[in-house]
Amino acid sequence: MGGAGMIWLAWRQHRKQLLFTLLGFAALAALMIPIGLSMRHTFTEFGLPDCVRQLADADVARTTRDSCDAAFRRFATRYGSLNLVAVLLLVLPMLVGLFWGAPLVAREVEHGTHRFAWTQGVGRTHWALVKFGLVGVATVALAVCYGLGMSWWVSPLTQAAHEGRMGVIVFDLQGIVPIGYTLFAVALGIFAGTVWRKMLPAMGVTLVGFVGVRAAAAILARPHYQPARTLTFPIEGTEGPSIGRGDWVLASGVRDADGKMVLADSQIVCPPGTKGPDGRACGAELGLGPGAYNWQLYQPADRFWLFQSIETGIFVALAVVLLYLAIRMIRRIA
Amino acid sequence: MDVALEADQLGKRYGSTWALRDCSLQLPTGRIAALVGPNGAGKSTLLHLAVGLLRPNAGTVRVFGESPYDNTKALADIGFVAQDTPLYRDFSAAELVTAGGKLNRRWDAALARNRLAQLGIPPDRPVGKLSGGQRAQVALALALAKRPRLLLLDEPVASLDPLARREFLQSLMGSVADAGTTVLLSSHLLADLERVCDYLIVLHAARVQLAGAADDLVAGHRQLVGPRHDGAPIGGVAAVVRASHTDRQSTLLVRTDGPINDPSWTVRDVGLEDVILAYLADGDAAASHNEWGVPA
Repeated sequence: MGGAGMIWLAWRQHRKQLLFTLLGFAALAALMIPIGLSMRHTFTEFGLPDCVRQLADADVARTTRDSCDAAFRRFATRYGSLNLVAVLLLVLPMLVGLFWGAPLVAREVEHGTHRFAWTQGVGRTHWALVKFGLVGVATVALAVCYGLGMSWWVSPLTQAAHEGRMGVIVFDLQGIVPIGYTLFAVALGIFAGTVWRKMLPAMGVTLVGFVGVRAAAAILARPHYQPARTLTFPIEGTEGPSIGRGDWVLASGVRDADGKMVLADSQIVCPPGTKGPDGRACGAELGLGPGAYNWQLYQPADRFWLFQSIETGIFVALAVVLLYLAIRMIRRIA
Repeated sequence: MDVALEADQLGKRYGSTWALRDCSLQLPTGRIAALVGPNGAGKSTLLHLAVGLLRPNAGTVRVFGESPYDNTKALADIGFVAQDTPLYRDFSAAELVTAGGKLNRRWDAALARNRLAQLGIPPDRPVGKLSGGQRAQVALALALAKRPRLLLLDEPVASLDPLARREFLQSLMGSVADAGTTVLLSSHLLADLERVCDYLIVLHAARVQLAGAADDLVAGHRQLVGPRHDGAPIGGVAAVVRASHTDRQSTLLVRTDGPINDPSWTVRDVGLEDVILAYLADGDAAASHNEWGVPA
């Protein structure tokens, strides 16, 4: 009776679903772990861990930088296609939302079994809280494994890429954000199920809603979690931009002496004293006057965990709101 | 008189349409009551209000004096078999009995097992693989295992073949007779109800048209056959429920409030089914014609 009885019912109802999920997860792990191991092996073989260490230092020798860049390119050529796999793995949290979240209430209502469940001695709010709780615990456990596993798997790829782990797709794969995404997907599925009360429409809404909110957060919100930093450097110089590996560049361009953007999305570096083909100063043929400089807007790499926490917090909060609304809707279903 | 189910000005609205309106009735304890009406008359709505699945938009509904919505204490006294007897299809009958025991404070598992054993229902097969009749019996056994004081059944036999229907109703009657359980059973199969029910509630177009003990209803209605009726009052007739006319003759089904001594009318006794049909016949034809945009 009461809590324990409800837990028994929820477990009995969903144990098969959990088993299939775990099997799928195990199959995926069996596929990904060998790839990850071979990738790390090559990473060490090419001496890339040393490169990562040396490049973190700003005044690294020119020759080291060039040889490391070459090694990174070799690595990227061999494993770059795996970035596609990483993109595919982005959908996993959404799948959990589709197959665990959306049917949770919708399936009961579609089959009429809620009329059995809610007319026993357990109130429907209690029923909902126990179900949400169990699905939530299972979801968090899965998402933690996924986040840790992906952090391990994707780290050679991110270290080889200039943007590092702040990059748009790899940021979403690792760390703690998968917990937020998965909880949000499940909560969205549950909520859609209480509104549409049929599995297929609920799944469709979950799909569209999840993709929409995720894209909006990544594109519109994430660049502004903290005020971005700017970096400026002259057009004439021996060195390129001294921006660190792993920084997330949001925007860049060339501005004139008054700060007006002259060339968006470009950077120009000429060795000192270089003249253009017509004998004018470097960049003059592009309309750049004296005093023009390169400009970059970026989020530094060391904000990774701060950004992860903020994004996770946003999605967990959305999930809580959706579950609250779902309980309110459940009170209106007959 | 002890009242099992009481509704007062009860109403439920979906959007702008009232599924049930101004419903006032009192179901005395110990009755086997039939809830009759065509599809869409509001039968399921009334039952869902009574079992607390729905919250009323107007008025009140009480079961043994308690409002049933979100009230697990009141729910403990109510057994409910929903339309199409929904059960978790991958659970076996034995698992469902276990589930009921875990979800209810009062649970007579032995009663359920004995019933199901007697009916020859396999304990370990998923109920989704049982026949419709067997599944209905499992649902009934689960409802009875709560040892409810009020048992609500929503079209429990609608999807069953005539033999299974008869068996279901027989086993229902057998099990509630001794316990003194009050039963409210919705159906549109009049013949079945006439055999088992001693109380009647007729719903039509979201309103209660008639409610009362079956004997009283039969005793209080008569069929009159006589010369064409022009609407003049007839001694002993409280109201004309339904009238049909030929050129020279009228046939009336009337509610009486005294003996009918007018010699121009031939008075006949009526059956319960005649009474029910008379109250159901005058539908909202005008509204329907209106919706179709054709003259009535």
